[in-house]
Amino acid sequence: MQEDFHYYATYCAAFLAGYSHEESLAICYSAQFTDLCSASLLAKLRAPLSAATTQLSMEMADARTDMIGLQNITRIWASFHFLPRDLHAEKKGVSRRYLRKYRLICGPNGELVCDTVELAKGGSLQAVGLAMHVLADTWAHANFAGTPSLVINNTNYHFYELLPDGSERAVKFRNNPSSPDDLAQGLFTRSLYQLNENSVMNLGHGRAGHLPDYSFMRYKYLPAWGGYREILKENPSDYLHAFCQMVEAMKYLRGSRDSFATGKYDWEAIGGLEDRIREILCRRQLNACADWKALGEELSGRTIEAFSVEKYQKEYLEAGEKEKDATFLGRFFLAALAQKSMVTNKIYKSGSLLAGYSVDFEKKGFHGMRDFRKLVEQARNRRR
Amino acid sequence: MLLLGMAIILILPSEGYKVIGAILSVILLLEGIRSLGFYFSMARNMVGGKIFLFRGIIALDLGMFATSLHEIPAIYVLIYLLVGHLFSGVVDVLRAMEARRMGSRWRLNIAYGAANILLAVTCSFCFRDPTLLTYVYAAGLFYSACLRFAQAFRRTAIVYIPLESDFSTPAH
Repeated sequence: MQEDFHYYATYCAAFLAGYSHEESLAICYSAQFTDLCSASLLAKLRAPLSAATTQLSMEMADARTDMIGLQNITRIWASFHFLPRDLHAEKKGVSRRYLRKYRLICGPNGELVCDTVELAKGGSLQAVGLAMHVLADTWAHANFAGTPSLVINNTNYHFYELLPDGSERAVKFRNNPSSPDDLAQGLFTRSLYQLNENSVMNLGHGRAGHLPDYSFMRYKYLPAWGGYREILKENPSDYLHAFCQMVEAMKYLRGSRDSFATGKYDWEAIGGLEDRIREILCRRQLNACADWKALGEELSGRTIEAFSVEKYQKEYLEAGEKEKDATFLGRFFLAALAQKSMVTNKIYKSGSLLAGYSVDFEKKGFHGMRDFRKLVEQARNRRR
Repeated sequence: MLLLGMAIILILPSEGYKVIGAILSVILLLEGIRSLGFYFSMARNMVGGKIFLFRGIIALDLGMFATSLHEIPAIYVLIYLLVGHLFSGVVDVLRAMEARRMGSRWRLNIAYGAANILLAVTCSFCFRDPTLLTYVYAAGLFYSACLRFAQAFRRTAIVYIPLESDFSTPAH
């Protein structure tokens, strides 16, 4: 997913869930910021590097792919962009090593989606935005894993786009990242084919290019893990489900629903808007920001300012050490640390070290990376 | 790695490139075995995974052939070093440029990049001096060993606080 959905569509969903214009802006800013909060940006802000929610292209190229490096990559991508659907999935006739990667395949309506929403309950608006990013990506990034893996994430020549007229066209991939995707010609950029299982080129949907990120895209292909069974991915339908699930989740987070469960969507909230939303989702364009922005402004009657990564940086940099956690970005970093800690723990408990070691505070007290000490302080403050 | 680097420098400085060649041959052999292992444990379940079977067989064959040679010409060792350092250098420089565009820290990366590129240039001038080549390779081993030492002592675990925690355990 891109800025159009994470920023503007999330604004619409938040507003439909009952949040005010200002609250919706804070939520959608946080949802979009999840795609920009890299270690480089955190270093610039002198913020905890463990709060990184993404990696820049050159950070990835430079990332070590030894065990420690892979754990760092997996923590970031599995926690925020490729939330695993089922950490206890079974598959017959495979090795344990294969199974550990297989279990990291992302998908909607998994147990971890509930855990993510619960984690944001009672938290900041930044935590809500971050949770909505994670939830929405489970739909767009389904069938790919947030860890470098050729055996899970690779795709081959059997890859077809289903066009609006009902015909299908073989997708042509190229490897030049500076060339924009060409929708008319069906020409898309994807990552290089690397035979190394743990190459960062094999992370997430890199081998399928940006097709999962376009709301209008319908395609079918043979996933590396699927036993030669074709998968049909209908993004317009998936994105609509993501939107309605966001509304449902945010109603719960706001307190107007008693519980949140997977598989529930707030179709009523979008009642009169469904045709309009479907139209936006199905329009063949690289970026749907303008359409979603117009819808959001119609809903609230207010102007939605353009996203700017710089917006809250000055506030954070100028805050004193003790006040930083109360700033906009400070609250986002706390939410990011909490999400990373929770997902790492669930993966660790499933018997996999792909995201690293997790130490249960209740049993062993504080151990490990110092950045996470902030979570202890935050939890204590909450109890008070 | 540290011991290997020291042995190459202290015991065989002028003949070290032969040892390096032997190490690279063994690496090729191990790569073949690794690829075959990877095919049977992982890639068998992957669409198009047979490529690992073929790759494993070819690498194993080449590795066996290379280890059976008495001497590998220094030029191959040199090319290996040159390409490795040049690639690392370019990636470091690009990373520094990306960080600089964001206003983040970039000087350390540019220094790493410059050092790697300088090493690659040095390698390209030592066609006739296998001793220099030996020192460059051993320096690379030292550097990798130091990085691994540093990694081994890094804290990597992540604390988890259950939502229902009552903080009965005192934090250390």
